[in-house]
Amino acid sequence: MNPVNRRAFLKAIAAASSASVLTIPARAHAGVKARVVVIGGGFGGATAAKYIKLMDSAIDVTLIEANQTYTACPLSNEVISGHREIESLQTGYDKIARRGVNVVHDFVTAVDPLKKTVATQGGRKLSYDALIMAPGISFDYTAVAGYSEDAVTDMPHAYKAGEQTRILKWQLQAMADGGVFIISVPPKPFRCPPGPYERAAQVAHYCLHNGKARSKVLILDANDSFSKKGLFEQGWKALYPGMIEWVPGAGDGKVERVDVASRTCFTGLNEHQGDVVNLIPPHHAGQIAVRSGLANAQGWCEVTPMTMESTRHKDIYPIGDACIAGELPVYDMPKSAHMAMTQAKVAAGAIVAKLNGLPVPQPYYVNTCYSTLAPDWGISVVHIYRVENNQFVYVKTAGGISPLDAPPLQRKLEAEYCVGWFNNVMADAFA
Amino acid sequence: MRKLSSLLCTLALIAGGPAAAAGINIEGLARTCNNCHGINGVSVGQSMPSIGGLSEAYLKQILMQWKSGERFSASMGRLVKGYSDEELAAIAGYYARLPWVPVAQNTDARRVAHGKDAVERCVTCHGDTGSEPDDDVTPKLNGQWAQYMELELMKYRDDAVKMTHKKMRTNARKLDEEGLKSAPEFFASQK
Repeated sequence: MNPVNRRAFLKAIAAASSASVLTIPARAHAGVKARVVVIGGGFGGATAAKYIKLMDSAIDVTLIEANQTYTACPLSNEVISGHREIESLQTGYDKIARRGVNVVHDFVTAVDPLKKTVATQGGRKLSYDALIMAPGISFDYTAVAGYSEDAVTDMPHAYKAGEQTRILKWQLQAMADGGVFIISVPPKPFRCPPGPYERAAQVAHYCLHNGKARSKVLILDANDSFSKKGLFEQGWKALYPGMIEWVPGAGDGKVERVDVASRTCFTGLNEHQGDVVNLIPPHHAGQIAVRSGLANAQGWCEVTPMTMESTRHKDIYPIGDACIAGELPVYDMPKSAHMAMTQAKVAAGAIVAKLNGLPVPQPYYVNTCYSTLAPDWGISVVHIYRVENNQFVYVKTAGGISPLDAPPLQRKLEAEYCVGWFNNVMADAFA
Repeated sequence: MRKLSSLLCTLALIAGGPAAAAGINIEGLARTCNNCHGINGVSVGQSMPSIGGLSEAYLKQILMQWKSGERFSASMGRLVKGYSDEELAAIAGYYARLPWVPVAQNTDARRVAHGKDAVERCVTCHGDTGSEPDDDVTPKLNGQWAQYMELELMKYRDDAVKMTHKKMRTNARKLDEEGLKSAPEFFASQK
């Protein structure tokens, strides 16, 4: 096929609204050798790498991820409560490698958005035609006085799943009956908006069923409201009466200082001593995104709604927890695995179209977040965003939370769907 | 180029059709379904149904019933309300054109044997193995996830939620507790 015909062929396929399943055949691309680099192998990065390869196998895709094994955050609160082993949340990268993604275990030290190159700790230098920036989050350890990176063992955050999750679990297991388990929640926006409140339920569940029913979970919150608040409060009351207390920011809930040695949290006017302190530090886009000049003053990467391309640098696509998107400031896209994956698919589609000289495809953004309060008690929130006139629009006639007055069957179904969802997103991203 | 043109016609038929005409990026839209229903609509989560290869009429009907609210769902209703009727029809058409892939799953031989008797009321509409439904709006069940089917039966048995199919209501209620487990396992084990 000569280049002109190949182009006509690709255009015709686009007109036929093609084609991820109908993969563009590699040999049709003899001349195309575009390079895409993906930084970060979480839900967003892995999905983007895989889908670019699925859509156009002639594009060279390199995924750079420091760790050999990925530990998923969703469902990790169930590791803390002992309902699940951490291994069930783990995966490697062998399956997406078999799909043709070059998986490189290395650490990106610099991105040059003008020369379009990426440099790594291992001495690699890669050039790219398009770059997916999916580094997740970095903690701001200095935001809470008295806290530091060295304190993460004494006051674990367990907000990047793995060793931290296990540490928090061990501390909970070692806590005596009647103990106080403090969860300190940072100001919004933060990763997994319902995470701290689901964690409270899982901790209470563990305590109730392990001879520690007199224990208490104290949530010290920098914010005045939270995701699925009505549903959580209803569930806490029904399942764990009197065991969970939430202190909003307006009620002096914001932790400003800690004393690590005595496990004490200081708010504006009060101090709270915990037997376990789960301090989730404020965070922002992963360091490499900030250092590459992609982040705004608040530390998050702004994007173009049609494509997920950065508003700051051409050909870089920040996705997942690192970006800030949605109908701002009220209806921001939640920092969740599901959201990261639909963003990844939009970015992948836009990049493949661009590298093949095709028009920008219509994007579709959707999020589903399940939270499990007990084995038969799940709740969820759904978000749908559309793009109109190059702006994100949150669709208010759809989405929203599970009904408050739902029958027990709804709660059971959502608890079961949460697990089915998890198995499918793990496969969709990593297999 | 003649070969290429016929190829393109086939591609247009498979991938585009009315969806492309309506300006819907059906591939992009369907990719969002993959999150929960698997690539090509083949689920790997036991509580989530496979949807690739189900009939267009069935998929379209259920999507529209969720959208109107006449049929209960735990979460699909909140999702489908975000899309136009044309988009939902395009999704139904897209998945209907994919192959139905029965999923290999662990089933209990004793349950499957019991299930063969328990499904006598099911097979009249869904076919002996669940693979040959009577009509277009009845779903295939062979190799569908057992847990998903059990959860669906629980919906039909529960008066607290609104379901549309009277006959399914009646027949789901006629199953005993063992049948509630073994009927799904029987269909799950069929190729």
